[in-house]
Amino acid sequence: MPMLSVRELEAGYGPIRALDGVSLEVDEGELVAIIGANGAGKTTLLMAISGVVPVRSGTVEFRGQSITGLPTHEIVRLGIGHAPEGRRIFPRLSVRENLQLGGFTQPDRAQLQRDIDEACGLFPVLGDRMAQMGGTLSGGEQQMLALARALVGRPKLLLLDEPSLGLAPLIVARIFEVIAALAARGIAVVLVEQNARAALKLADRGYVLETGRITLSGTGAQLANDRRVREAYLGEG
Amino acid sequence: MSVQFFLQQCLIGLTNGALIALVALGYTMVYGIIGLINFAHGDLIMLGACLALTLVGALGLAAAGPAATWMGIILLVVLCGLFCGGLNVAVDRLVYKPLRTAPKLAPLVSAIGVSFIFMNVGLFWLGPSDRSFPELLPSTNLLGGEGLQVTWKDLLVLLVVAPLMVGLTLLVRTTRLGRAMRAVCQDPTAAALVGIDVDRVIAATFFIGGFLGGAASVIYGLYINTIGFQMGFQNGLYAFTAAVLGGIGSIPGAVLGGVVIGLVRALSSAYVSERWTGGIVFAILIVILVFRPEGLLGKRVKEKV
Repeated sequence: MPMLSVRELEAGYGPIRALDGVSLEVDEGELVAIIGANGAGKTTLLMAISGVVPVRSGTVEFRGQSITGLPTHEIVRLGIGHAPEGRRIFPRLSVRENLQLGGFTQPDRAQLQRDIDEACGLFPVLGDRMAQMGGTLSGGEQQMLALARALVGRPKLLLLDEPSLGLAPLIVARIFEVIAALAARGIAVVLVEQNARAALKLADRGYVLETGRITLSGTGAQLANDRRVREAYLGEG
Repeated sequence: MSVQFFLQQCLIGLTNGALIALVALGYTMVYGIIGLINFAHGDLIMLGACLALTLVGALGLAAAGPAATWMGIILLVVLCGLFCGGLNVAVDRLVYKPLRTAPKLAPLVSAIGVSFIFMNVGLFWLGPSDRSFPELLPSTNLLGGEGLQVTWKDLLVLLVVAPLMVGLTLLVRTTRLGRAMRAVCQDPTAAALVGIDVDRVIAATFFIGGFLGGAASVIYGLYINTIGFQMGFQNGLYAFTAAVLGGIGSIPGAVLGGVVIGLVRALSSAYVSERWTGGIVFAILIVILVFRPEGLLGKRVKEKV
């Protein structure tokens, strides 16, 4: 049984239907990439899984339990972490407070501190910036903070929305390194990326989302070699 | 007489300002967390004062000895605080929560409606004319002599308001709930995505704002000694002005704004004329907002495009 299974999901905003019957599955420990153009519905898909955007029809199941229509904070408590588009760290809270909030659901303070230390181990620069306000960090540091914040919550499944957007290549490389290492810790990842080449290289499997529908799926390598994907998303042909 | 007279006016301004600040906190906290000007807040405090008056009668406090009087005052602060806090939470739940995703005007107009409902409840409770609130504290001058007058009433205001403000600051700065409140203020969606139950945090904010208002209502009764069903409007207006002056959404701003307005009111009543006070307060508000639209301690918010 897959860890996450999304069936015939429809969601949108007002008259706009952003997702038009999306189905996908993620297995334990798997890294799944979702690629697609701007406005294809990638962010809406993650937001609908997290319960931020209401689901109009279809179902979302996580570890055998329906989470369709649950409030966001309960979905998070079940083990789905989400580093949203645009990072959305808390700009007027310190780095430390941002990380503490990442572990909001952790009642044990000592364990929370260990989780924060562990996340900072992945991004040592955060350890030096603990007292600084989140909003004063550089874009790359903010992205690291967003990722670290999500990891402090000890997710079993992590939804990552455009973690490389607008960042310098060196930082992108570091972030992709960490994402690749998550699989080794048994954390499943759904990675939404414009940078399709890097995402497919990293991913076990991938889906192509076009105007609210899944049009292609396969292993990372299959998609990276698919003629349509190469033309549309990898800038070839 | 001049220096002493000036100090006396400053003391009046400071105590009045502390009272205004306590009410202003309820406006600023709710605005900070859901962007709503809660027009019913002043009338909530009027209802708190109604309960305080009823309790003073029921407990027979007017005839109690000094020790029992102080115990009774503490009990009044707690009970009226719980009453206003609980009522505020109930109003959020029934009126504002269903409108959370509606355009901002809808909860705003509903708040005005709640304000009228409260005022009519107060009219039933108190009757149409002003009621006098018993003098529970002796008005002897603690400093003795004919000089500066400092009474127990003045001390009471500062003794109740200061710990509440320190407590509130500690709560917001250092506790898990306080962290969650600040997170919801800054980005409710991101707060939900780290596992915060946003509706509960909003309810807690309404409770705390209401509790402070309930405490303010007791102090108002004991300090001003007259309450009436229309007291919520004017007091609410000054407190709201204080919140805007200090920077709406800012907790230290509400306190500063309250003290500034209290002092301006006292000094203008003493040195200019009572009838100019309202005009002077709002003229100062306008001048400050022209030069600092975000208020004295508010943050300049850049609208993202």
